[in-house]
Amino acid sequence: MYWAIKPFFVFAAIAGSFSYFIFRSKILLNTLTSLPTKADRSDHIPSRIKSVFVDVLGQRRVLKKKAPGIAHTMIFWGFIIITIGTVEMMVDGIFRGVNLSLLGEAIYGRYLLVADIMTLAVLSGVCFGFFRRLVLKPAYLKTGVDALTVLAFTAGLMLALFGMNSFRVAADPGSTLNQYFFVSGFLGNIIHQSGLSPDLAFVGSEVFYWLHLLLVLGFLMYIPRSKHLHILAAGPNIFFRQLGTSKAMIKTDLEDENATSFGLGKISDLSWKGALDLYACTECGRCQEACPASLTGKPLSPSNLVHDFRTELFAHQAAILAKKTEELPNVVRADSGVTEDVIWACTSCRACEEVCPVHIEQTTLIFESRKNLVLMQSSFPAEMQTVFRNLENNFTPWAFGSDTRADWCRDLEVKQMADHPTAEVLYYVGCAGSFDDRAKKVATAIVKLLKKANVDFAILGKEEKCNGDPARRAGNEYLAQMLIKENVETLNKYKPRKILTGCPHCFNTLKNEYTAFGAQYDVVHHTTFLSELIEQGKLKPAVGADKEVTFHDSCYLGRWNDVYQSPRDILKAIPELNVTEMPRNKNKGLCCGAGGARMFMEEKIGTRININRTEEALATGAKTIAAACPFCSTMLTDGVKAKEQQANVQVKDVAEILAESIT
Amino acid sequence: MKVYVCLKQVPDTESKIKVAADGKSIDSTGIKWILCPYDEFAVEESIRFKEKNPGATICAVSAGPDRVVDALRTALAMGCDEAIHIALPENADSYLTAKSLARAITKSGTPHLIFTGKQAIDDDAAQVHQAMAEFLSLPAVTVVLKAEYSATSVKLDREIEGGAIEKYEVATPCVIAAQKGMNEPRYASLPNIMKAKKKEIKKVTLAELDLTDTDTKVSYSAMQLPAERGACKMISGDVAAQAKELVRLLHEEAKVI
Ligand code: SF4
Ligand code: SF4
Repeated sequence: MYWAIKPFFVFAAIAGSFSYFIFRSKILLNTLTSLPTKADRSDHIPSRIKSVFVDVLGQRRVLKKKAPGIAHTMIFWGFIIITIGTVEMMVDGIFRGVNLSLLGEAIYGRYLLVADIMTLAVLSGVCFGFFRRLVLKPAYLKTGVDALTVLAFTAGLMLALFGMNSFRVAADPGSTLNQYFFVSGFLGNIIHQSGLSPDLAFVGSEVFYWLHLLLVLGFLMYIPRSKHLHILAAGPNIFFRQLGTSKAMIKTDLEDENATSFGLGKISDLSWKGALDLYACTECGRCQEACPASLTGKPLSPSNLVHDFRTELFAHQAAILAKKTEELPNVVRADSGVTEDVIWACTSCRACEEVCPVHIEQTTLIFESRKNLVLMQSSFPAEMQTVFRNLENNFTPWAFGSDTRADWCRDLEVKQMADHPTAEVLYYVGCAGSFDDRAKKVATAIVKLLKKANVDFAILGKEEKCNGDPARRAGNEYLAQMLIKENVETLNKYKPRKILTGCPHCFNTLKNEYTAFGAQYDVVHHTTFLSELIEQGKLKPAVGADKEVTFHDSCYLGRWNDVYQSPRDILKAIPELNVTEMPRNKNKGLCCGAGGARMFMEEKIGTRININRTEEALATGAKTIAAACPFCSTMLTDGVKAKEQQANVQVKDVAEILAESIT
Repeated sequence: MKVYVCLKQVPDTESKIKVAADGKSIDSTGIKWILCPYDEFAVEESIRFKEKNPGATICAVSAGPDRVVDALRTALAMGCDEAIHIALPENADSYLTAKSLARAITKSGTPHLIFTGKQAIDDDAAQVHQAMAEFLSLPAVTVVLKAEYSATSVKLDREIEGGAIEKYEVATPCVIAAQKGMNEPRYASLPNIMKAKKKEIKKVTLAELDLTDTDTKVSYSAMQLPAERGACKMISGDVAAQAKELVRLLHEEAKVI
């Protein structure tokens, strides 16, 4: 009788829950495809497939965090293997006898062995998960009902599986398959020896069968509305991820006559990829743990940001599906969690994107929201208005006349492109090198080194304009594009063979963002260029003044462009110079606080990022803090002053340290 | 209800001013022209007035060569409704400027209010608004920090020496010249910049105003740059010697005591 009706019940349960699951998933998918903003991620398919292997199957980024990484990997692989058995169980439930045993005992037995061990692995991983969330409770980890439900589901599933298999063993103690059950065999023997009749043991195994099945199906129905959605979305999100380290900000088409809005105002302004990012978030909190804004008490936490955007997306799903989005509110508003303070706190350091195991692009949400605030609502920190004005009128964020741009090198005999258009290297000085007193000294050191190495170079002088980074990162895409287009025109007039920049921001924008505006050149940061000159023997460093040095990574060199080694190579090439790394170095380096145009904004909330970083640098005991970016130098110099260490510790650019070691 | 904002385009504060070859004017090559910051306060004030009085139409007026159209576009992008460009030669004096503004305004429609900056940051003459008010027979209050508007009058706070405030109540129509601090001028949004690009700017010639470019009271005979500031001089020695040397220098070299 039981065998006659079981298939119907199994089928009904599966059909019902799968329908619900598909129905919910379809809504999620339709939401993505209903979003009008485009994003093209159809390039480099082989690299994308590779990325799925490395980051999904290989759990590369997940494993960057040891204990939770291992726990997750056990759960992940355990689930994949156990799922084979779960499918088998469902099929067998409907068509009795149709199961993996048909493959022969040799194969089936091995599968049972592996699955049984993996069940234990998943259970251990889950136990660690509970321990971490209930006992360790790291600050960056949000433990809500959702997270605990997911853990409980998983634990329940594994326990039910053990129950089912153990009672099966007890129900048929003579079966040759029993030897393959590593854990369940042990438990089954105990049950058997307790004197339970095989018939009752069979009933027990069926009870656990149902428990397991219903838990699986319940979990399936739970997934689409929970943080566990990542098991569906993480794979695709990694496939469609931003490939490589460097990236350009989205170029907004400002000439689009039909555009009624620019940037990300309403949630419906997201692209499908932006929405997929939101689906994929596992709420692991790693981004928050790395975020300089979160670390210093700003209202911005990248994981909260993603969470709040997702809440907004789900809240307005119906409107998006119905394509009735005119009435939707802006995401950035006082009561959405995403306030203006959140959006402006970001230094665009990309520490969040670096650690995110599922490759979410948090800065895109921030940059696009800033664009909307500035272009559509003229809403931005008051300090930025002067910066925008200066950029408009004098092409530099500071109040200096554009015709004094080359004054810094008046006494240095530096050629200008207008007089020497065939120069091998165009030295793009940047606004800091041209106008900031401290950075002018760095520019002077670079000139000295270039001359020493007989490099044929010239600068643009008055023809040079701000590269556009501060305006662009501050959301003023209109002003940024104006500056970029003017620079592109100048560059294309000279078509330089190589562009050398004295600033990581110039470097990044010229290298990665100018291509979209029709200027593709070989752009190199001064640390890379100078380290090459050393390697070629054109610069021969001798013992210099600086002995104990620590190096601060600039975000726009490191995390944005993967340049970690060249500045270190330069320092290493100087005899008797000893570099002590800070605990947070290279891709884990903490931002100085100046990126994302934060250089020009006041830091009114929380503690100061530059102080946090300076304390770390001072703790190394180094007498010189080396930097490779004028903004980092300014921030760290301010930090050293605030800590009253200016008599003992100096902040210098790597180029200055090198120049002082060469007579 | 018509509200006017009179504005001037001036060289950016960071521009290096050079005397032209004729020795009587400035060399405008390489100069970045901007809307005079004081006039920006006036534009902002007019827009805020309109926000409270939606029936008002704001008309920006500027007298000068063709380049001033850019300053008018800035005002339109900030929120002015229409703009008039009075074609004036480069070196027109305050008298001709004021008279042309007054006539253009009269022609265009009776003003309810006329806003402008307290002075232009290039020649710092601070004459045009008062002369214009005179030609229009309207009261004018300058260096205004605050205004409260009612249907037929305006209550104004005017800054005087030492930061003291004079309070006025003036019947409309009147001329109000803004001081820094009257408001925080807005930054134009992109859609407004785009709209401003398409708006028509009405061009008026002097002839249409029954004026000619010789209707001036002032002509420039020569222009020269101020003497370059010399390098800092450091005085050393003990305090008594330093004081003595300082007095000697002030007396003999600087000739100020
Ligand atoms: S880019 Fe940096 S500052 Fe911005 S959210 Fe990410 S980690 Fe935080
Ligand atoms: S955005 Fe990425 S790193 Fe941050 S919580 Fe989500 S999954 Fe974790």
